[in-house]
Amino acid sequence: MSAAEDPYTLMEKWLKAKEFLVVGKGVRRADAIEKALGMARYVEDFYMPGHMLFVKQVLSTEPHARILGVDASKALEIPGVEGVFTAKDIPGENQVGYALPDQPLLADGKVRFVGDLVALVAARDFDTAIRAAEEVRIKYEPLPYVLDPLEAMKRTDVLVHEEVGSNIAFRTKVRKGNVEEGFAKSDVIVENEYRTHHQDHLYLETEGALALPELGDRLTVISAGQYPHLVRAIVSRVVGLPESHVKVIIPYMGGGFGGKDDEGPLVAAKAALVARLTGKPSFLLYTREESLIMHPKREATVIKYKSGASKDGKLQAIDVQIIHDTGAFTNRGPFILWRATVHASGPYKVPHAKVDGYCIYTNKVYQGSYRGFGNPSVQFAAEAQMDRLAEKLGMDPVDFRLKNLLRPGDTTITNQLLDHSVGVADAVAKLAETAGWREKRERYSKENGGRYRKGIGIGVAWHGISTSRGVPDWSNALVKIEKDGSVSVHTGIVEMGQGSPVSSHRQIAAEILGAPIDLVTVDFGTTDAPDTGATHASRGTSIGAIGVYVASAKLRERLNRLAAELLETSPDDIVIKDGKAYARSNPSKSISWKDLIKEAYARGVEMSATGYFFLPKGKFDDQKGQGYAYPAFSYVAMIAEVEVDTYTGKVRVLRIWPGLAAGKIINPTQVEGQVEGAAVQGMGYALMEQFVFDDKGRILNADMTDYVIPTALDAPEIMKPVYVEDIFKYGPFGAKGVGEMALIPAPAAIANAVSNALGIKVTKLPLTSENVYFLIKGKR
Amino acid sequence: MFYRIPEINYIYVSKLDEALEVLHTLDNARVLAGGTDLVMDLKIGRIRPETIVDISRVDELKYIKDEGDYLRIGALTTLQDIVESSLVRAKAPVLVKAVNEMASWQVRNVATIGGNLCNASPAADSAPPLMVLEARLILASREGEREVPITQFFKGPRKTELRKDELLKEIIIPYERGSGQHYIKLGRRDAFTLSIVSVAALVKVSNGKFSDVRIALNSVAPTPVRAYDAENALKGREVNLENIENVSKLVLNSISPQ
Amino acid sequence: MEVFFKLNGQPVKVDVKPNEVLLDVLRLKLGIKSVKRGCERAECGTCTVLLDGKPTYSCMILAPYVNGREVATIEYLKENGELKPLVEAFADVGAVQCGFCTPGFLLTVYAFLKKNPSPTREEIKKAIEGNLCRCTGYKKIIEAIELASKKMKSG
Ligand SMILES: Cc1cc2nc3c(=O)[nH]c(=O)nc-3n(C[C@H](O)[C@H](O)[C@H](O)COP(=O)(O)OP(=O)(O)OC[C@H]3O[C@@H](n4cnc5c(N)ncnc54)[C@H](O)[C@@H]3O)c2cc1C
Ligand code: FES
Ligand code: FES
Repeated sequence: MSAAEDPYTLMEKWLKAKEFLVVGKGVRRADAIEKALGMARYVEDFYMPGHMLFVKQVLSTEPHARILGVDASKALEIPGVEGVFTAKDIPGENQVGYALPDQPLLADGKVRFVGDLVALVAARDFDTAIRAAEEVRIKYEPLPYVLDPLEAMKRTDVLVHEEVGSNIAFRTKVRKGNVEEGFAKSDVIVENEYRTHHQDHLYLETEGALALPELGDRLTVISAGQYPHLVRAIVSRVVGLPESHVKVIIPYMGGGFGGKDDEGPLVAAKAALVARLTGKPSFLLYTREESLIMHPKREATVIKYKSGASKDGKLQAIDVQIIHDTGAFTNRGPFILWRATVHASGPYKVPHAKVDGYCIYTNKVYQGSYRGFGNPSVQFAAEAQMDRLAEKLGMDPVDFRLKNLLRPGDTTITNQLLDHSVGVADAVAKLAETAGWREKRERYSKENGGRYRKGIGIGVAWHGISTSRGVPDWSNALVKIEKDGSVSVHTGIVEMGQGSPVSSHRQIAAEILGAPIDLVTVDFGTTDAPDTGATHASRGTSIGAIGVYVASAKLRERLNRLAAELLETSPDDIVIKDGKAYARSNPSKSISWKDLIKEAYARGVEMSATGYFFLPKGKFDDQKGQGYAYPAFSYVAMIAEVEVDTYTGKVRVLRIWPGLAAGKIINPTQVEGQVEGAAVQGMGYALMEQFVFDDKGRILNADMTDYVIPTALDAPEIMKPVYVEDIFKYGPFGAKGVGEMALIPAPAAIANAVSNALGIKVTKLPLTSENVYFLIKGKR
Repeated sequence: MFYRIPEINYIYVSKLDEALEVLHTLDNARVLAGGTDLVMDLKIGRIRPETIVDISRVDELKYIKDEGDYLRIGALTTLQDIVESSLVRAKAPVLVKAVNEMASWQVRNVATIGGNLCNASPAADSAPPLMVLEARLILASREGEREVPITQFFKGPRKTELRKDELLKEIIIPYERGSGQHYIKLGRRDAFTLSIVSVAALVKVSNGKFSDVRIALNSVAPTPVRAYDAENALKGREVNLENIENVSKLVLNSISPQ
Repeated sequence: MEVFFKLNGQPVKVDVKPNEVLLDVLRLKLGIKSVKRGCERAECGTCTVLLDGKPTYSCMILAPYVNGREVATIEYLKENGELKPLVEAFADVGAVQCGFCTPGFLLTVYAFLKKNPSPTREEIKKAIEGNLCRCTGYKKIIEAIELASKKMKSG
């Protein structure tokens, strides 16, 4: 690599940019019209009935049982049935656990929850497949089962995974200072137990995949997923083909929110398995009911939280125990738990901290990735604690927070030094001002008679960018300038609504190259692109686009040198914009964009580049519970105003004010969209979304009549976000993550507002009419 | 695709007489008005008819007529037509309020008022308002017609007074002059959702006292119910919040299981 | 059995089974992919079509029910200039994220603005109560409808 193309040098150079052509503007996303007109293709749109096998899943009806036998004879007699496949048919490895090797794709010997996958039925059409699936007989020997995580933690007679010897699947810890000392210094101490519940992603498109056998032992898989290269790795492991023989395409997706990061590789592996075993194109699509029953959920938690502060309003110590009901498999549970553990303090300076996390196996649907990744529940607990402490100290909740919020130069509870990009205190101060916090807080705290009570509450949160604890993370992309001057960007980042490939990636490429944005096309979600990492952890732009940023910057250096030669000036003097390159010192010297590219091809200047960047990280010491956690954090604050009907317990969120310290805002329209969508999803979680389990751990409300999400009439008024652009040195133009942010503080802000309205502490979600009604009654 | 509706016969009728004739002859048949309940029930296997009789084209049952002291509404009138009717809004506002909060525009465009009543869900939202309005239902069969007060129509969850060969033809709604009417629905969210509980109330007041009180609820018993104890306790009392609050507890007497 | 109906202005004849729903006839038999499968239980709005000009869910309509009626999907409106300001407004304001709900929204909104060209914000929310969106939080959708109604009146 020539020194001129060193990524650090290039990034430093572009980070200094002050004037922008397209970055920072609400450029319309490239896919909007296509989607609006129904021309965008989603997985099911590739299904051709009659030309492909239809795959139907046979799920466990038992929470915990040994499989004594699978009798498929009746199913196989049905004309049109091509096969019934179980664990023993898997040619590769029957193992799909992301963190620990505890999860078979198809149940092997035993089932661990109602909804566990036992067999796949393939038939010529969907009707036959569904009918045949009903005819597959499974003989079970029921085993005792355990549903409550607190009980499971203690029991060793009922084990979800015998080989582990306990239901404690995973532990995490963080230690800083000495908590005894911290509590001794505290003048006020509060201690509470918090509970949060499962949440479903409820993307409107369920999970699906289509696997196409190709010549020469190859497979092409069109699938849901948030990381094409991971989908490929899992497919290749299960079907026993080298990764190079599997091509994965993730088309447009009707929402992901983390759920398709977990389930995408699995649905792909199922379709691929059938395609491999039958040699025929195979299509699998989850019903809404299957999706609700099977795919991993936001974890349910029990959080014990003790915190102390001194009279001067300074936090002194926290002692936190986080228990995640991880369900039948750990899936990404350990990663989720790590995130919850290192974020347990909230974005505050805490000298003494002790945090312990536990993933507990139970015989229920398992825990998985969901926007916020373990963080919304723990921030809910942390922020409720902050309000209780403020109350005891007689301080305003915002003032108390401002005294303790992290600032540049502070260390986190893992002892990581935050040397830059910490704009949270500014964001909170600005937000409180914008929302009229003081006046409203005072007014609502006084008024507490009458049927309808108003309240206002705040939630502040942080979210580490990239993978936790120094786990390696990188970005890449392939950027090509074609002969006609059009630009193709190839990235593994997917498009699931968040819009990064169709908005920010395009803007970044166009900005750096100086190319007209209409000429930039992004090919996303494919293993044909270099491994870009996953579209999760709010990294689609912050990390995912670094590859585009670096690759474009390399090309720009080449173009500058070429143009300088042509225009007889120095490369630093070259400006490329509005379809031409010219000399800043003498704008009359110019060459059109298209001619410049023609010259590049004529003179042997390579017009393609990759943008590999490996994030420099420190180390985390699991034993000591200390060390490097993330390259930077995004910060978010939210103020919510609510009204509670004390007769019915009905909570209405009236208004939400969001505030972000998430680095450079590349596209404000897209960022607002993420903030608004996440806020309403968070509100749904706080107020209405919940699963009902029966005594076998079966989900009883596996449909959208009884698992409800907000409608247009439920959504509150959401104000324009307040931004503090606290530049992150490795992010494209200084951007940090945005996608998950507004969901994280939403339950906290809403619960704190309800507390304020009622004068009752809220320790449990969701705040349904029923729960709030009993909360009020309990007090009376 | 995923919900396998069993094989069915499908026949169209376009006249009431024709429909009644068919119902008289066929054994295991179900009429389809808007089909919004029926198709879901077929999908989840709650019902297994052999034949579907599509009555959605029987135009003679689609009307809202003003007869001065009462309104007549044809059973096949869609929910959206009721919401948009200035006549119903003027003479039976509580019905408009309730129907407007049912399902969604997409459902209300095809769903009928007759279907909502005949489906006899404990959560039927048109029932409480019609109960406080003391509506009367006209049931028709090949043999003729009979009139049933709505309070006697519901017999249990998905059970009604209708015989197999009968159709609901018309709903007669008395015009309650000088009454105050209101409807409140509590659901899991603010729209497009089933009732956790809904209440319709109709009152008349003279000299500051309640002269007539009618209260009906859904989703709190096997059928929508009137809260007679509460009604009686309030009649003759002075109109104030305290009286209402005190009496409201008596509503529990009408709830089962309690 | 055979059903005859108008699909996007053109008469069509399809062989269906009475137990098929319109959604499947459109997607699997007639190749109309803009009508999306979200729940199959009339709970989400992604399968919205216009039936005799009124929005309804194609997943709860049995195929024979449409005999003699008119069905319109976004493909029809695409040809029709009236949709343009609406689509442009959705794109400009940022009302499209994953897009899975969008064709359904557009059909509902199109029918709604025809009935009520100058709606209030509350009327807009009420009109789209049966179209769920998990991505946008609805704000930009509502703003797009307001913008479109202005554009349509002035244009
Ligand atoms: C998504 C969704 C949301 C809903 N939300 C609500 C809600 O909020 N509140 C509410 O109350 N309901 C709700 N419903 C239920 C349903 O929409 C209503 O009950 C509707 O009014 C039924 O009318 P229909 O014409 O579609 O009935 P159909 O489905 O056609 O018929 C229902 C039943 O009644 C019988 N029937 C219909 N008409 C007659 C007649 N004239 N004579 C004799 N028998 C007849 C049918 O054979 C069938 O058994 C909802 C349904 C769906 C799918
Ligand atoms: S698929 Fe028809 S409403 Fe959801
Ligand atoms: S844009 Fe994704 S559901 Fe609406």
